[in-house]
Amino acid sequence: MVAAPVDQVRTLYRTLLVYAAVSILILVAGLAEFAYFEPPGQHTGLKATITGVFQYDPGSNTTVGPDRNSFPRSMLFAAVVDWSSLPKNVVVDARWYDAFGNVVGSVGPATPDKLASQTIIPVRVPPGFQHNLPGHYIFVVERYEGGVPVEVIGRRVVLVER
Amino acid sequence: MALSARAANPRQRRPPRYAIAIGIAVALILVLVASSILNYVYLDTVAGRTSLYGLLAVALTALGTFIGVRGFDRDPEQRRKDFIRAGVLLGLAALLWLLLIDVFIFTGAAGPGVAAICALACLPTTAFGLWVVRRIDRNEKEPWRLVLVAAAWGAVVATSLVIWAESLWQLIAIRTLVPGPGLDVSTAFSAGILEELAKGSAVVLLFLVMRNEFDDVVDGIVYGAAVGLGFNFMESVSYMTNLYAIFQPEGVGSYAAGFQWYARQVLGLFFGHATYTAFVGAGIGIARQLPDVRRKLIAIAAGFLVAIAAHFSWDAWLTLFPIEKTAIGILEIHLRTLIMTGPFTAAVLALLLLGLHIESQALGDQFRKEAARGSGAIMPAEVSILMSPWQRFQQRMRAISRGGLRAYFLLARLQTAQIDLAMERWHRERKEVDSPLEAEEELRRKVVALRKNLAA
Repeated sequence: MVAAPVDQVRTLYRTLLVYAAVSILILVAGLAEFAYFEPPGQHTGLKATITGVFQYDPGSNTTVGPDRNSFPRSMLFAAVVDWSSLPKNVVVDARWYDAFGNVVGSVGPATPDKLASQTIIPVRVPPGFQHNLPGHYIFVVERYEGGVPVEVIGRRVVLVER
Repeated sequence: MALSARAANPRQRRPPRYAIAIGIAVALILVLVASSILNYVYLDTVAGRTSLYGLLAVALTALGTFIGVRGFDRDPEQRRKDFIRAGVLLGLAALLWLLLIDVFIFTGAAGPGVAAICALACLPTTAFGLWVVRRIDRNEKEPWRLVLVAAAWGAVVATSLVIWAESLWQLIAIRTLVPGPGLDVSTAFSAGILEELAKGSAVVLLFLVMRNEFDDVVDGIVYGAAVGLGFNFMESVSYMTNLYAIFQPEGVGSYAAGFQWYARQVLGLFFGHATYTAFVGAGIGIARQLPDVRRKLIAIAAGFLVAIAAHFSWDAWLTLFPIEKTAIGILEIHLRTLIMTGPFTAAVLALLLLGLHIESQALGDQFRKEAARGSGAIMPAEVSILMSPWQRFQQRMRAISRGGLRAYFLLARLQTAQIDLAMERWHRERKEVDSPLEAEEELRRKVVALRKNLAA
């Protein structure tokens, strides 16, 4: 008795299914990572008061002028946070992210009491550069849980013009 | 009814797959329209204007593709006119889209000269990539017109789809998620899912509309990689121009653009988008030869799934391999690409090699059967020559010495027709065509006529 020839297209199909199974594992790992950094059920309703984003004078460590949503790249700027608006028992930090996702300024994490003297959070010009890089900058105040930021309780987006 | 000699499926009436193709095309256009209107309303005016004007480029591409594809079924004179019209429309669409990107997004800061230099820098590398991808189909190379259409769709339509969709995703993500790894993963999902769906839709449409030129997994990988190379071309131009504009005031604009060129057009030419979309093509190519609808759908879904996972893993976990700003960083960049995308490229190469092996075996078998049939289309002595690309080339070179370039091209056409005949026989034997035997007979007559022409 002669066995029927094996259809090699089936081999291709099965190989692809093996690849697909590995791919599912990759995507599940991605979802798990997302769930770890964005854990569900962390919404507390807490709101941090961001007073505004202002031009920044590094010499005197003060802000000047009105609250703005955009800045020329040659202008330094900083966010001002009213830490007293938050309960004393939460751990929080504040960070600036540039358009490439790099952290370009931060305070914390600590309790609002410990951050009371750091109400001004400036954006640092990247090392080796003269001005800020253009693009949208995100400023966030984050609440921590278990050493990981789990909730954004204040957010501002500003544009650094080209 | 006149039959096209290349047609494996002479059409008595329009097959159902055309209806599916039209449905997908209409859905894509509706998504583009909805996306552009949303952008116009919610995003800043520059992006909004680009969205609306971009619709014209998309409409031109759709119309050009429709006219071009329709031309295949017409008589030679009308076909020539249709192809010229389609070529003009696709050319206009590509130019318009480049113009949109340059004028409305980047050239305000970088200037049209920089945009032109970036595009010119990416052209030779992309052309080389397309040449390599087409040549890997050693038994039956795909027509340049379809490879270029695939690349053009990847460059113009797929990028249009994802620019808008990703903008919306990003807009929502940065206003709702915690910046950092969670947001990075979200962005990676956005790129993996949206970009692979956008690129893959072009391969699906080719599969549905150009079934006669879509034989198996090898063809799928070729078309998928071509779409990926087209997408990579446009993305490279965008990134290079954008980064030049950002970094030039610091005096390092050329370095930033040059680095992007090397990373995307040299190092990542075959490792990035070409690999990802080749998986979509592989899935569709395998589905082409499966007997039942359920397995076909699973194969297509599996191809998309692998492409999305490969793309996702690169975008999500790139930061796991930080690059030092020292000389060793150059080595690290290469190692990172090799480690992160290399396994996927190796996996698609494995499918390609297996596909080529299956195709070669099947064609060899059909050459022998056709020779034994005694129709005169394939002679027994020609079987070993037709089975080897190198021997086919040597035979053509010998033809030059006998009859000059005319003999070379006539022999090339004869060999192509003989391979088409064997391919048709293979599909018929596997019950992958539902057409009458007429198409095969027509191919046989064409081969015999070409042989007489060559002997004359």
